[in-house]
Amino acid sequence: MLSDLTSLHTEALTALDAASDETALEALRIDYLGKKGKLTALSSGMKDVPPDIKKDVGAKLNEVRTAITDGITSRQLAFQAAKDAASVSGLDITLPGRPGQGTGSLHPLTQIRHLAISTLRRMGFALAEGPEIETEWHCFDALNTPADHPARNESDTFYLNDGRLLRTHTSSVQIRTMETVKQLPVRIIAPGAAYRRDEIDATHLSVFNQLEGLYVDKDVSLADLKGTLEYFFREIFGPKTAVRFRPHFFPFTEPSFEIDVKLEAKGKEDRWIEIAGCGMVDPAVFEAVGQTRKDTLFDPTEITGFAFGLGLDRLAMILHGITDIRHLIENDLRFLRQF
Amino acid sequence: MQVSLSWLQTHLDLSHYTTSQLSDLLTFAGIEVEGIEQKGVNTDLIVVGQIKDSIQHPDAEKLSVCQVDVGQGSDRQIVCGAKNFKVGDKVPVALPGAELPGGFQIKEGKLRGIASLGMMCSGRELGLTDEHSGLLILDTTAPIGKPFRELVEPDVLLDLEITPNRSDLLSHLGLARELAALTGLPLKGESHLGETDLKTRPATPAEIRLGAPEACPLYIARTIRGVKVAPSPEWLQNRLHSIGLRPINNIVDITNYILMEMGQPLHAFDLAKLTGGIVVRHATEAETLVTLDGQNCALLPDDLVIADQTKPLAIAGIMGGAESGVTDTTTDILLEVAYFQPSGIRRTSRRLSIHSDSSYRFERGVDPQQALGAADAATRLILAIAGGKAEDHAVVAGAAPTLVHSVELDETRASKLLGIPSFTADEGHAILEKLGLIKQSATPTTSLWQIPSYRLDLQRPVDLIEELARVIGLDRVPANFCAAFAATDTADRAYDHLMALRSALANRGFHEAQTLRLISTAQLSDTLGAIPAKGLDSAAVPVKNPLSEDHTHLRPSIVPGLIATAALNIRQGAAQLRFFEAGRVFLALPKNNTREEERLAILLSGPIAPSSWHAREPQPASLYDLLGVIENLVGPAVTIEPKPIENTPGFLLTSELRNGNRNLGWIAQLHPSRARDIDARHPVYIAELLPSALRQLQSGPAKFEDLPRFPAISRDIALECPQDLTHAQVLAALEKAKQPLLQKIDLFDQFRDPTGQKLPTDRKSLAYTLTYRAPDRTLETAEVDTAHQTLLTTLEKALPVTLRK
Repeated sequence: MLSDLTSLHTEALTALDAASDETALEALRIDYLGKKGKLTALSSGMKDVPPDIKKDVGAKLNEVRTAITDGITSRQLAFQAAKDAASVSGLDITLPGRPGQGTGSLHPLTQIRHLAISTLRRMGFALAEGPEIETEWHCFDALNTPADHPARNESDTFYLNDGRLLRTHTSSVQIRTMETVKQLPVRIIAPGAAYRRDEIDATHLSVFNQLEGLYVDKDVSLADLKGTLEYFFREIFGPKTAVRFRPHFFPFTEPSFEIDVKLEAKGKEDRWIEIAGCGMVDPAVFEAVGQTRKDTLFDPTEITGFAFGLGLDRLAMILHGITDIRHLIENDLRFLRQF
Repeated sequence: MQVSLSWLQTHLDLSHYTTSQLSDLLTFAGIEVEGIEQKGVNTDLIVVGQIKDSIQHPDAEKLSVCQVDVGQGSDRQIVCGAKNFKVGDKVPVALPGAELPGGFQIKEGKLRGIASLGMMCSGRELGLTDEHSGLLILDTTAPIGKPFRELVEPDVLLDLEITPNRSDLLSHLGLARELAALTGLPLKGESHLGETDLKTRPATPAEIRLGAPEACPLYIARTIRGVKVAPSPEWLQNRLHSIGLRPINNIVDITNYILMEMGQPLHAFDLAKLTGGIVVRHATEAETLVTLDGQNCALLPDDLVIADQTKPLAIAGIMGGAESGVTDTTTDILLEVAYFQPSGIRRTSRRLSIHSDSSYRFERGVDPQQALGAADAATRLILAIAGGKAEDHAVVAGAAPTLVHSVELDETRASKLLGIPSFTADEGHAILEKLGLIKQSATPTTSLWQIPSYRLDLQRPVDLIEELARVIGLDRVPANFCAAFAATDTADRAYDHLMALRSALANRGFHEAQTLRLISTAQLSDTLGAIPAKGLDSAAVPVKNPLSEDHTHLRPSIVPGLIATAALNIRQGAAQLRFFEAGRVFLALPKNNTREEERLAILLSGPIAPSSWHAREPQPASLYDLLGVIENLVGPAVTIEPKPIENTPGFLLTSELRNGNRNLGWIAQLHPSRARDIDARHPVYIAELLPSALRQLQSGPAKFEDLPRFPAISRDIALECPQDLTHAQVLAALEKAKQPLLQKIDLFDQFRDPTGQKLPTDRKSLAYTLTYRAPDRTLETAEVDTAHQTLLTTLEKALPVTLRK
């Protein structure tokens, strides 16, 4: 019996080595370990084994069974490993990936607007909005623009047949907001479209995008304006950006300034680029708001404020080096895909 | 405004300032320098030379070889391409080593093999004139070898942007006054041209009648007889040339000179052409006038004219008439100096499109107090240059209006607004005094200031604070970092929501477009949605004064812009068209009302994926791809029920996207004929959504529902039905049955057989998986069988369907 087991052991190991695939392995398992298998047959002979060697034979039987079982398992694992390896053989990882629906994009203007809005929101400004079809009151009168100011002319501004107009700047949202707020401070930004009757060319669009800002409270000063806008432009253009304020004139702010930032251009001297207008809200604007409100919340002897406005199209052009503003409205995919 | 630095220097000595320092000084005083142009030359290496000999270049037909005497003993050989000279002419010669304006270096060299030891120059090469057709021929008296810069003084031309509030800066004297205040430099003696001891007498009504005193409250006339009209002397011609004006004759040149010197427009009439005295009046209906530049202007009663007893002579403050102007034969003149009200000048100038140096200044405001001084200065110049004899008195009609008043400065308020801790009242007062304001009285916290007559912009206390800010500059203002809490507004929520939709679409391979909000009448037919009974025009808001027929209406829909975007990209060869745009549209409502609302439009056409080695030609998108995108945008909690609408000629399948009673937008296929127009190779699908409606579907934070603890049992069914039975009808019938165990209905197939073999062609098959589940127990098979069977029986009764086995 012992010698039978020994020779079965040897025979099984040889057969294991010879098994060339999983089918052969399964056949081998049945041949040795199945109900009618060779080892099963031998183990059924255990009952005839004399008691004195029963223990030794039993141990040998177990040893052979374990050896065959382990052998089969390890061969199975080897076959599986080979199959797994084969499953990726010949796969060229340098081939391009599956494109799905393709890559989309947000318009560069949306991206710039979002950058500006996110920055200003961190600085404590909330969004406000107003209509693009405006009254002369909100677009001009209340903003201290003289009745015969050239901007009001039909050659410069789009009008509707009912006398209303398409707002020439987002500054009208200043008035809309101040006319309706319940309390101070007013601390708002208003991104939006504005219209001017300009022929479309490389630097002009008849419809363009601005962002307006307004802060009104007791004791708002030029120092607040300077701190806020310097901080904002350094967030946009980088922490070391030089920002300067040039005195200027706008009807609705006094004093008024234009803001330049100093920008690097490859291979050229740094240039000052005009980027925004700003100033302290003109008392006449507060008086106009007071006229509509019929209260004293915006009494110009009690409160002050600053306002600023910047062109988002221009900002996008400067940041991205876009040379022709018309790219922003033509929506050529070769353009849009670059952002 | 063009300003000559050398002209400016006649009023104050700016020699200690470099051009760039001066430019900074002006810029930070609110006078933007838009351009700086160097005129003439600054080197001794450009000298006067005389051409002694000129022969044809042996190898170049267009070149001559000249011998030029530049005062160095022997003549210099110079090869030259110009033709406008003759031997004996004197010309500017740039010697080797000289640098021309613009940076060009002159070197010795050879031209077509012939040595050339310098260059003879044109006016443009020296930055003097635009003349480039030949050499600049100099006066015969010019001394040979003399540096050219001693002959023609070099100059710097500044192009300044004067803001509309500072009309006092629209002259050399005005700028000099400002620079003197900013630098502390003294004005030279002769610069106080405003002062005069000219004798005056009131005009008789026959001499001057002010027929519109509100438009012209002051008119001064000075008669000068026996003048000799001739070209102006060189200095005067040079002054005018230096700022780009063309000299005409001495009289006209002098009026232009005084205009640019003092900012006071004047006009000279030929007295012989006048019939009787001057009348300043509004034009009569149908009156016409031919102006100096030859335009025949039809005038209106709103226009102010200077007339004599019989005819209009000039459009007041804007331009003189051709007939009464000074000519070579003029001997007696009437010199006009007046004050005209700005808004009237602005209206007429704009309506007639005549913009002159005179109207530019009157529109912005001229100091009426300087009129007499200007009349005097002009007369003196005329007498000195053109001779003649002036009447002793200037004749004055009306009076100069007072346009400035005393203004109070509140130092406490100024200090607060400026935000400069170290600012003192004394500093403020010093600045105002420097600017020519005179302190009339003061209290500890306020002071009252007399304003100079030329500072028409200083009317209110805040105007004085602006002056302080302008002069002090923002460098001294500390940067204060302040922030207040800002409550979220509905605008914030709307923005965030729309931004999330934008990002979702970009992540699904859509490109965001931005199209103009002004569209053409033709584009209106691309509007998505039902056509109003009165036609497409009635839904859109027209612009009264469009720039062109491409931009006549405010867009009532974003779709026209997206179709144009698709068309452009098809022309560029794009196959996959996936665009969206978010933005405002404008709707015309009854009674002239309008409504503005945000919309989100999506356009989808062509392959659903880019061509790649995975799929060279991916299948084209279908309406269901677009519907899927929209379902994805609104999320699984919102059901969208498309409801077809009628009368939408530009589109097929147009449907409202409804959620209960709420319209979320529209979806459609662009009509194939329109798609062919834009050369689309695949069907074009379009949707326009209403973000505000989508936002209203959001109902706060989602509520957690416990995960199912018991298994579900599902049954598949296939329903054979007529082609026109809809999925929505099946769903409605199934839901109507109210089977409590039915938890989910999933459509997994729609089958049609165009051959009619497996299914008649007028029938289709819809296959569903019905999922049954109870929340509190594991369902028994028999229980589900019963529920399922009941449901099917109900379905067969409710709809024209048969169950396929």
